[in-house]
Amino acid sequence: MTFDWSIFREALTSRAYAEGALIAIALAALSQASAAVIGLGIALIGRSPLRVLRLVALLWVWLFRAIPTLLQLLFVWNALPQLIPSLREEWFTPFLAAWLTLSINESAYMAEIIRSGLNAVDKGQTLAGKTLGLRSGQVFRLIVLPQMVRVIIPATGNEFISLLKLTALASVISLRELLTVTSQQVAVNFRFAELYGAAAVWYMVIVSVFIVLQAQLERHYQWSSTRRAGIPGLRPQLAGALNR
Amino acid sequence: MTVNTAPAAPIVVATGVRKHYGRLEVLRGVSMTVNRGEVKVVVGPSGSGKSTFLRCLGLLEQIDDGRIVLDAAEVSWLSHGDRRPRERDLARHRSEICMVFQHFNLFPHMTAVENVMVGPVHVRGTPKNRAREEALALLDRVRLAERANHYPHELSGGQQQRVAIARALAMRPKVMLFDEPTSALDAELVREVIDVMEELVRDGMTMIVVSHELRFAHEAADTIVMMADGEIIEEAPPGEFFTAPRHERTRQFLSIVE
Repeated sequence: MTFDWSIFREALTSRAYAEGALIAIALAALSQASAAVIGLGIALIGRSPLRVLRLVALLWVWLFRAIPTLLQLLFVWNALPQLIPSLREEWFTPFLAAWLTLSINESAYMAEIIRSGLNAVDKGQTLAGKTLGLRSGQVFRLIVLPQMVRVIIPATGNEFISLLKLTALASVISLRELLTVTSQQVAVNFRFAELYGAAAVWYMVIVSVFIVLQAQLERHYQWSSTRRAGIPGLRPQLAGALNR
Repeated sequence: MTVNTAPAAPIVVATGVRKHYGRLEVLRGVSMTVNRGEVKVVVGPSGSGKSTFLRCLGLLEQIDDGRIVLDAAEVSWLSHGDRRPRERDLARHRSEICMVFQHFNLFPHMTAVENVMVGPVHVRGTPKNRAREEALALLDRVRLAERANHYPHELSGGQQQRVAIARALAMRPKVMLFDEPTSALDAELVREVIDVMEELVRDGMTMIVVSHELRFAHEAADTIVMMADGEIIEEAPPGEFFTAPRHERTRQFLSIVE
């Protein structure tokens, strides 16, 4: 059996693959976004003066890093509905289950990344904000947060790429993402090389596009007066806290 | 030395300020009265508590005992007391007694003009356009108008410190605190910062300056304060301080620094 380029090309450009890829991208992006928010919360709780809260943060990070992601996914999809009856209903789709799992799982890693990012911001920045009369919340939002974001972009980029590939795990709970689509097609014609190859190309393309976006974002965070325009329209929204 | 024609009116009164870190007592009851328009230069060996005292005055540190009164209002709160002020009041008091730091602490993600604007816009609620105009005027005053749109890392140390001074001035503080403002600068950049500070002195700004720049102390200070081991051991006008120091520690210190 030789590599049949027409089957490869047909799979690559098929609607099913495109939809699978779209689901993978959406799942990864949504999970990354909610993981960043939860992770920020956990990182902040971890700096609380209250010992109980610090312990909660510690336990969270420990728990969700200790258990294999696949096991967490199977637990959410199969075990949670047994424990919580309302999850047996229609609305609890594989997508929701995967989003929930990946958000929580990834939030443990993001909490650690954000913790190191917060530690990297010079303490003098907070003092300078306070001496101007900014309140704690303003100091955090206007001064600490943008500098923290700059620090965590590379590590977060890593996380997003691995998250994108982790979405393939959701094939075991029948989410119709890229790997599920591929497996279904393989079951029909057994053209492993062509169909797996097409899926691999999709992942490579998505990751490549993402790498370019990340480079743009990093350039945006260089804070240079001679910087060429990065992503159009990004600066006023992200950096221009003053514009509010 | 400047001639202060205004009648002596205290604007900062610190009484018996104590502060310790763990078992280390950094301030052992420091009292100081600063009059409106007065320039006080605080000197002393490192570890004498000068910077800690300044941070206490700037309300960036809680004190363990004593009180700090700013313009007739008590602004200090004790670390073990039950009268911790509301954050809003604390922030307002801080904005009236602005600090300039040894390492500038400019916000690296904002241009020079944005650094100067951020306080007025977010603390005073000044409209952005007006804040920008005022910030540009202040940058002009510290001779950095043409650097307004540069980021801190694109400026020299002396330029950064002048932006930091403009940033503090933008709050129209009642008192300005300077924590070794030229210690982190290369020798040839010290002068440009000192020049700006001397201009502030001429404009009548009330200033408390921790500095090893004895020439500035000589020319600009009304009073020089000598600290050692967490206490003020001598306080005198510059003429007297440099020519006839009373305290042995002061004589030692001057012989080393000069």
